[in-house]
Amino acid sequence: MTVLEARTFLGTLEAAMEAEAWAADQAKRLDLSERAAFAMTLCLEELFVNAVTHGAAREVRLALSEDTLEFRDDGTAFDPTCAPQKRLQGQTFDFEIGGFGTGLLQKFADRLSYRREGDWNVVRLAFGARSR
Amino acid sequence: MEMEVIEADGVSRAVLDGRFDIAGAQAVDLRFSVLAGSAPALIVDMAKVTFLASMGVRTLMLSAKTMMRRGARMAVCGADENVDKVLRATGFDEIVTLYPDYETAAAALIK
Repeated sequence: MTVLEARTFLGTLEAAMEAEAWAADQAKRLDLSERAAFAMTLCLEELFVNAVTHGAAREVRLALSEDTLEFRDDGTAFDPTCAPQKRLQGQTFDFEIGGFGTGLLQKFADRLSYRREGDWNVVRLAFGARSR
Repeated sequence: MEMEVIEADGVSRAVLDGRFDIAGAQAVDLRFSVLAGSAPALIVDMAKVTFLASMGVRTLMLSAKTMMRRGARMAVCGADENVDKVLRATGFDEIVTLYPDYETAAAALIK
């Protein structure tokens, strides 16, 4: 993976918003297709929110290549590749809200891999080709 | 994200414009909460929404839950391909019907 852009963020929801804006800018700069840009930003939000709210991550590091986003966080170990995919089933108002992020990751990333490196979760997501 | 509410024929039409990301969800959460607690029928018009992730879905689900508990009707219309894929991936389409445009949604809710 040849890293084109990299940036470090604090483990906060405010930083997650900054990261989303950064990712959206990078997607334009790298001329990603609309589908790939959408998928990358969506997966970034899911991973960031999960790392901050459930993993108590203090730091998040992002590295972007042409078609791959590497997401590192120092939160508790969590492997999104084998977490259950939640989806609402049937018409009822008695449903629990939350836990949909993993299913979205698996649905939108073309490839998804996970490894634990010391105190870090390392997730790699691939998103197909450029728009031209 | 911008949100404009248009009242017509007993239906509140919430027209969203922009990115329904973390910041977008924070910007409209309170107004959705008020609408869901009071509107007899609600159509969320997402034709101008360019991005949706789970924080935005959460806002929509909270509204749907409140509306369903009150016995009020809710629909979503105009979602583009990516936004539609997010809504279906979470199962939101199981609890709220998705329509291609406002006219179709209004015809279904007003009848």
